[in-house]
Amino acid sequence: MSFNRNVSVILLLPLALAACTPAAQLENTAAATQDQAGMETIESPESPQTEIKGRLVIYSGRSETLIQPVIDAFTAKYPDVEILLKAGSNSELANALIEERANPQADVFITTELFTVQSLAAQSIFQPYLPAGAEQLPAGFVGDQNLWTGLTRRARVIMYNSELVSPDEAPKSIFELADAKWSGQIAAAGSTNGSMQAQIAVLRQVIGEGATEGWLKDMIANQVTFFGGHTDVRKAVGAGEFKLGLVNHYYFYLQQAEGSPVGIVFPDQDEGQIGLITNATAAAVVNGGANAAAAQAFIDFLVSAEGQKLFAELNYEYPLLPNVRLREGVQPLDGFRLADVDVAKAAQEYEATFELMERVGLP
Amino acid sequence: MQLTQITRLTLPRWNAARTSPRLIMAAGLVALFVAVPLVYIFIRAVAAEPEAWQRLLQTRLWKLLGNTLILALAVTSGALATGVSMAWLTERTDLPGRGIFRWMLALPLAIPAYIGGIVHLSLLRPRGGFIPQALEAIFGQPVILPSPIGFWGAAFILTLFTYPYVYLLSSAAFRRLHASLEEAARTLGRTAWQTLWQVTLPALRPGLMAGALLVALDILAEYGTVALLRYETFSSAIFIQLSGRYDRSAASILSGVLVSLAIFILWAELRLQGRARFTQVESNWRPAPPVSLGKWRLPALSLVLFVISASLLVPMAVLVIWSANSLLDPQALRAVFRTGTIGFGSFIWNSVWTSSLAAAAAVAFSLPVALLSVRHPGRISRFISRLCQVGYAIPGVVIALSLVLLVNRLLPFLYATPFVVVIAYVLRHMPQAVRSSESAFGQLSPSLEEAARNLGRTSVQTFFQVTLPLITPGLLAGGALVFLTSLKELPATLLLRPAGFDTLAVRVWIWAVDGFYMQAAPAALFLVLAAALPLSFLLRREQIFR
Repeated sequence: MSFNRNVSVILLLPLALAACTPAAQLENTAAATQDQAGMETIESPESPQTEIKGRLVIYSGRSETLIQPVIDAFTAKYPDVEILLKAGSNSELANALIEERANPQADVFITTELFTVQSLAAQSIFQPYLPAGAEQLPAGFVGDQNLWTGLTRRARVIMYNSELVSPDEAPKSIFELADAKWSGQIAAAGSTNGSMQAQIAVLRQVIGEGATEGWLKDMIANQVTFFGGHTDVRKAVGAGEFKLGLVNHYYFYLQQAEGSPVGIVFPDQDEGQIGLITNATAAAVVNGGANAAAAQAFIDFLVSAEGQKLFAELNYEYPLLPNVRLREGVQPLDGFRLADVDVAKAAQEYEATFELMERVGLP
Repeated sequence: MQLTQITRLTLPRWNAARTSPRLIMAAGLVALFVAVPLVYIFIRAVAAEPEAWQRLLQTRLWKLLGNTLILALAVTSGALATGVSMAWLTERTDLPGRGIFRWMLALPLAIPAYIGGIVHLSLLRPRGGFIPQALEAIFGQPVILPSPIGFWGAAFILTLFTYPYVYLLSSAAFRRLHASLEEAARTLGRTAWQTLWQVTLPALRPGLMAGALLVALDILAEYGTVALLRYETFSSAIFIQLSGRYDRSAASILSGVLVSLAIFILWAELRLQGRARFTQVESNWRPAPPVSLGKWRLPALSLVLFVISASLLVPMAVLVIWSANSLLDPQALRAVFRTGTIGFGSFIWNSVWTSSLAAAAAVAFSLPVALLSVRHPGRISRFISRLCQVGYAIPGVVIALSLVLLVNRLLPFLYATPFVVVIAYVLRHMPQAVRSSESAFGQLSPSLEEAARNLGRTSVQTFFQVTLPLITPGLLAGGALVFLTSLKELPATLLLRPAGFDTLAVRVWIWAVDGFYMQAAPAALFLVLAAALPLSFLLRREQIFR
């Protein structure tokens, strides 16, 4: 006991020295730790203008560049809301949410795949909320008890540098990436990337643990370069540093828009192949967050036609809300055979995916 | 980083008997503050499930250990070779322009290695880099250059930005070296070359060891550069574990191993340093005459210019060009200069106030420790002082891991506030404050304090009226050092910052890893300039720069 007291005495000293720091920083702390009661609102607010103000803390697994324009559009609509963003990997932020369970800091959580939200929903990290218009979303993209809401879909594709690879040569299946003829020529995202994690989780369900492990080992043996994120991958492929990249579909369109010579393959479409692997982004209201009203308004906005259009236009994603047009030139998902996955089972076994990545030593 | 040399004084015996219990208490509390995160990590590492240990032992542990040790060894050797040769050329030869080179060779300390890495990577990146593309445009076909990615690139870039530690310590030693030592060797028939290896360098050993230690510990803690160049070491693996996995036991195990490694290096240095004794006759001191370079003048000059270009001029020029571009490009300009928590002003303010507070706190905490170890030497005081040096051995990622878990459990009201970031800076940079304060106390004769006591002042009055005013310059130097290194700190800030709290270092990193170099450049440039201020203050304190 006296040990703990000593520790707090020492750790408090910097606070005493901090008398000269701005009051805003201290207010932040006070606001964040304030206990919140009575926010079991499940319906969306009648009028968006009622009491939507204050600080809104967003933890986003989408990288800052992919979420900031949407945040800007939201704050243009709700100027009284000050948004504090922490962008990182899905699992980093999920760790933080679990760690902060007794002392919640965030109001909204956004991820780039469904497994993390499902696993957090099972641990009571979120509070139920069904945003306005969410009943129009396709089945399976709203969580049990409305604990999370899907936003957009994206497909896992192969992009290639069209000056170095002809469309005929380009691999038609992700399993061809293990072929020795591409040795040292492939870039992909590493084990911290949510979309990569989700792809491995899906593969475990579709082809089994052993075959997935074999594929990962072959990729590593084939000297695939694993980057921290996909922006590096698309830029490297665009520059011709690598011939092939394993990415989400919109990275191809983003790189193409920069004028690079790149091509795209939606892989594994032939009979007997596994089909296209897709995943979805999702958002949830954090249980015990300080500003549930603003959190709900924010998720309403993400699911609204206006928010969905931003994802489609700025980032070439597939909006989940029906009747929102795809960006010109984006190939619709309807024409593709999709991989058949039990998403709930994959979410339950998500931990095993991390163990697998660890075991094979995925960077 | 130790820019000052500690001088020990023989103390009057009566002093040791009157060690105040309050002083021991205060110093002990500081030591406890430093020790808690360290002990906590070891407990977590030891308490991790055996399967987690087994998994790591079977897969990554040995590879990481090899990678980390080889990199530390390569960079330390590279920094020693570069630092000593630059110091010798600018201190002991008739190299033209050496007055200005002395400054320019020390200034890369203001550039965080990851910023240097970002610049060199964008220049040298195979096929996509500026230089390969320019060469391709000139020659009409791709020219194969060595890639900066991987071990060699990491070793090269880290050497460029860590050699100044060795350079500063060895130039100071070259300056102090008595001419008669080398003259005696020459009189006894040694050639100039033999004299260098047999007399001069061995006499420099204490300074070189200290420099090598700083470089080696820096490499163990380095995150940004190795992550950028995709060379996996303990620090980057721990960062990946923390940001990419749900399971924290593996991160704890890796941290435990890394800290053990660092403590071993620290211990080895203290042992070796303790035994090295070089006595110079202080009277009749005169500087050794400069060596004439003769026909070696031009190669030597090119070598110095190469080091200065690669470590200072090219990175600064590129940052200035990128910054200018981002000011001219409306889209980048809008992204950089926003208002509110993601505005440029708020990054600067956050960087400055957290680093200043950390500097003030570290210096304040170092006072009881330094007072105890200098004025009341003994077993306890030496133990406390050594314990406070341990921060050198705790990399930012490890401090972050420890603090996230500790603060949320014990001090939830501090959790997710910028003060956790400040605590991390204080823990990590305390050794610099302790060493500077010890040196400041050591240079102050206790007889002044005794006189004050004899004239009826209490010990507290004596401290504030006599001791403190006299040691203030030394304390400021320690504070400047903590400020400088806190400003550059990346991994702990990345992991501990609350939402919406970005420092310059964090901003540079976020933009640069997404490939937005133009946007990152103004923040990087500002960071370097802000770090150059305290650095130039520190350099001016050193005699060679007066």
